[in-house]
This record gives sequence, structure tokens and C-alpha cells, in this order.
Amino acid sequence: MPTKQTTWEKIKWTWLPASDREAGDSIVRNFLLHWFPAKITKQSLSWSYSFWLGTLSAVLFLILTLTGVVLMFLYVPSVERAYQSIKDLEFVVSFGWFLRGLHRVSAHLMVAVVFLHMLRVFLTGAYKNGTAANQNRPLNWIVGVVLLLLTLLLSFTGYLLPWDQLAYWAITVGTNIASAAPVVGDWARFVLLGGTSIEQNALLRFYVLHCFFLPLFVLLLFSYHMWRVRKDGGLACVDQLAQTQKKEKATPIKSKTYSLLGITSGSTVHVETSLIDEDQHTVHSSPNLTRRLAVVILGTFVLASVLTVLFHAPLEEPANASVTPNPAKAPWYFLWLQELVTDTTFRIGGFTVNGALVGGILIPGLLMGWLVLWPYFDRSSVQSVGVWWGAERKRQNLVFLIVILGVVILTIIGTFMRGPYWGFYWPWQSWPEIPRKF
Amino acid sequence: MPENPPQAGPQSLDPKSQLQRTANSTRRSFLEKLGLSSTLLALAGQAYAFIRSLFPNVLYEDPRRFKVGLPAQFGEGAKFLEHKRVFVFRERNTFYAISAVCTHLGCTVKMQRLNQPKKVKVGGREFEEQAEFHCPCHGSKYYGDGTNYSGPAPRPLAYFKLEMAPDDGQLIVDMTSSVGQDFRLTV
Repeated sequence: MPTKQTTWEKIKWTWLPASDREAGDSIVRNFLLHWFPAKITKQSLSWSYSFWLGTLSAVLFLILTLTGVVLMFLYVPSVERAYQSIKDLEFVVSFGWFLRGLHRVSAHLMVAVVFLHMLRVFLTGAYKNGTAANQNRPLNWIVGVVLLLLTLLLSFTGYLLPWDQLAYWAITVGTNIASAAPVVGDWARFVLLGGTSIEQNALLRFYVLHCFFLPLFVLLLFSYHMWRVRKDGGLACVDQLAQTQKKEKATPIKSKTYSLLGITSGSTVHVETSLIDEDQHTVHSSPNLTRRLAVVILGTFVLASVLTVLFHAPLEEPANASVTPNPAKAPWYFLWLQELVTDTTFRIGGFTVNGALVGGILIPGLLMGWLVLWPYFDRSSVQSVGVWWGAERKRQNLVFLIVILGVVILTIIGTFMRGPYWGFYWPWQSWPEIPRKF
Repeated sequence: MPENPPQAGPQSLDPKSQLQRTANSTRRSFLEKLGLSSTLLALAGQAYAFIRSLFPNVLYEDPRRFKVGLPAQFGEGAKFLEHKRVFVFRERNTFYAISAVCTHLGCTVKMQRLNQPKKVKVGGREFEEQAEFHCPCHGSKYYGDGTNYSGPAPRPLAYFKLEMAPDDGQLIVDMTSSVGQDFRLTV
């Protein structure tokens, strides 16, 4: 480090270190960098291993927070004024359309990206523990599943806020699914709506959930998610590297930077890491990791902004309890559920089980439970940790992909093949003319 | 909480002070438990107050029992009361009301007029219907009498009790009480 530094140089050097020594120091000296490891394996930086999907969803959450806070100044959560304030955003507020559009596009992207992130983690067996001690990747997988659920709940509570027809009928259907739950159903609906019908209480409740509780939970779980990634020894692909290295080089070397950043209790994780031939397989996080991070952040902002300009955010007619749109469709990521609640009412003798219970609660609940428990039934060896299409996990991956395919097919049917009265129409068939009023 | 083991020392030889010490530590641990549980109880009380406040005691919602007008204002056939989501039917001098809320997930069903009357059979009873109810959300279908026959709806549309107001003779729809499909109010 030069002895005399201008302020600009003081800010700059941690981001663009001039020497190996500075690169190591920067991680300790810069608050924003301190949560990264000093050195990182080249595999972890690879675009094609992780596609950086987790980072991407974190950046989208950042965009959503930034735009969301501004939108909170411009939106009024009252049934009389909510719809009008969205209209104002579109036509009166300077760049209001852009803020709302960016928020909406990022929300859609986040649902997709978090889902793809889960897919990546599954197909690479990245929820599996390697050989290092104190790893608990299955727990981090469960945290991830909860984060996916929270992402969906955030989207759901978000598209209710414009108080248009989409919002009103989504609340209607959503809270009726809740009330189909055995024993606690009616109670849950009552407290969600703050009453028995969808009025001011319901809007305010979903608003507070959307702006405070759900983002707070996401933030807490996201922090824990990241902390666990460090504690579990980084991305799962590093465990593969550690396995091949151990044969060559058995004596752990404690480097200065690792011990400086000894976040973990004991010496297990960094002993594992230190087995890796650092010169050959690792690079300094600053600026190698930070540079790619900057590219991902900028890229996400650009992608979301371009999509915002290209696709205008729709707004349906104001909420109207007496007219349900025909067909009334949920956003794409819930259409598989809409399809499920349609198809799962069944009758045994004189007894009828509502599809709301089967398709709206039991099947999604079982899917969630299945996701949560899966890592504990995965008996493949450490050879399959952090490897795409691991040979031992062929059958698992196949089963998982079939379930995913089922969800995708239901989504496609719901999106492109359902017309008025939720009737089935091929995409090339035209829908019959239906008079708008009853 | 485990009891502290009596410490070895000159005093522990004296049985009286040994007793004293046991009594002291029992008192201490008792007070610890008392303090801890009263703190937890106080927290639970706070939490209960916070959560209980979210269950409204008074609902400022539309009444579920309301007047809908004089019988003479209803023509033969169905009239849809938009804001109440209920169909009121008149057949000569009898009246009945069918809910427009789908029994599957609560969307508002639409009345589909049929091009030609259709003969249907419900539970051994045969009748001719002019219109049916179809739901736009998940495609449930109901006959003209409200009986579900297709789609995910688990049960027929609800029938509401109709009354005549004693003061001005208006019809009253009582959405708080469901009645059987054979309910008719004769005026």
C-alpha cells in the first residue's frame, strides 16, 4: 500500500488490489467484502456450474426492495384509493410506470430464478454433505425451500395490492383454499381477511404482510442461507475438488487469511479448503469474485429494465365482487395450482372431497414435505456432491424432473389451453363469444 | 435445573450449615424458576394481546340479511342482485333465492341462458330448465336448480331463506340461513 493515499485511492484499492497481499487485506478491511472468503476456487466462479442463479435472485430481491420502498410512498392501501393510486403511477407520476413495471418484472423473474436455482441445486446434488465436518447442506436446502415459498407468498400478496379484478378474485380463491384446510380453515380465512368478506381489512393485512413481514423473513433466511454456504465450505463443487486433492496432498496448511477469517468454530472447514492446491485452483476473491458479481448485478438491472420497457405492466378493471372475469386466470406461476384445484374434486359414494383441499392444500403440502425430506433419503456417495447429472443420482434426477415436468405441463395447459368457463381449447382454437354481463 | 452439589469445605462438616446451604440453594433455584416463568408468562400475555387484537370484535361489513324490494318489482324468472351475489327467482306467486357464490372456491357463477329448454334429472326428480349456472374460475357447472353436475364444485349452490318484511312488505333475503332446494316463499 502506498503511504500517502487520496480518499479516492482509499476507497478504490480494496476493489482493485494491486498485489496478492492487498487482495487478501481488502477482504478484511472492506466492510462490504468481509463476508467473502479471501480466496475462492475457480469452479465456484464458473458460469456454467451454478449459472449464478442464487446471486441473481438476491439481486432481484435488492431491486424489489429498492423499487418497493419508493412505491410505498406512492401507493395508498385503501379500497377506495388503491386502484386510483396505481392509475396515477401509470399516468401521472413521473416514471411511475417504470417503477411499477420494474417491480413487477423483477417479481416475475424472481419466481422463475428461485425456482431454477432449486432445480440447479437438485440436479447437481448440491444439497448433499461432502466429507468436511460440521456441514449441514440439507438444512440449507430446507431454508431454500422456505425461501421459495416466501417468494411465492410475496408475489401473491403483491399482485393483490392494485385492487383490480385479478387482485380481488385471487384473494377470493386464495382465502377459500385456506378455509378448505381441516379444523383451522375458517379460522385462518377469518384472520387473513380480518372479517368474513373481502374489504378494507383484507387489503391492509396483505399490504403489511407484503411490505414488512414477508420481506423481513426473506432477509433473515437469506442471511442465514449465505452464512450456511460459507459454513458448509462454499459451493458443493468445491467438495469434488477437495476429494481429488486429498490424495495428492494430505497435510493441511493454515494460511494467514483463512485464520484471520476463522468464522467457523474449530478448524474443519478451512482445513478441508486448505487441502486444495491454492495456486492451481483458487484466485483472490477481490477482484475476481467482485468483478463477476458486478457483472451479474449490472446485467440483472439491465435485463429487468429492458423487459420493463418492452412489456407494459397490465392492470385489469377495478375490483368488482359481482362479476368474475371469464376466464379468471392466476399469474402463470400459480396456474398449475389453479389446474390442480380444478381437477382434484372426487367423489366416493355419496361423499365429496373438494378440490380446494386436495389440489390446494394436500398436494402442494405433500410436494413441500417431499422437497424438505428428500436430502435425507438420498443415499448416493460423496462422488455425487456438486456434480451435474451425477451417475449415481440418475434415477433421483429423473423422478424429480418428471414431477417438475408435471408442474410445467399443468402450467402450460392453464396458460394456453383454458378459455371461458375454464373450458379446454387448443391454442389454435378460437374462444366462443360470451356476453360480458350475466 | 440440576441441584448444586454440596461443596467440600470446613462448613460442610457441620450438619446444620449443610442444611442451611441446601435450603438456600433451593430458595435460589425456586426464585430463578419463579422469575423465569413469570417473565415467560408476561411475554405470552403480551403476545396474546398483540395477536388477539387482529381478530376483529366488530365487523363493518354489509348486512347478511337485507331487504331487496317489493315482490311486485320482481318479474317472472331470475333477477341477479349484483352487489349481494344472489339470484332471486319468481315463479308466479312463489319466490326463492339461490346464491351466486360457487361452492368450490367462491367465484361468482354466471347464468347461462340455454337456447332451448333442457330436460334434466336430479335425484329422481325431472324438470325442464331454461338456464344453467357456470363458473368462470374452474369450470364448475350447475343445473337451473343449483345442483352441481360437472367440474370441481363439491355441492349444490346454497338456497337462502326469503321472508316478507312485516313493516313494508318488502322481500328479505337472509344469507345467514341456508334452506333446502324445495324452499318457496308464497306471496
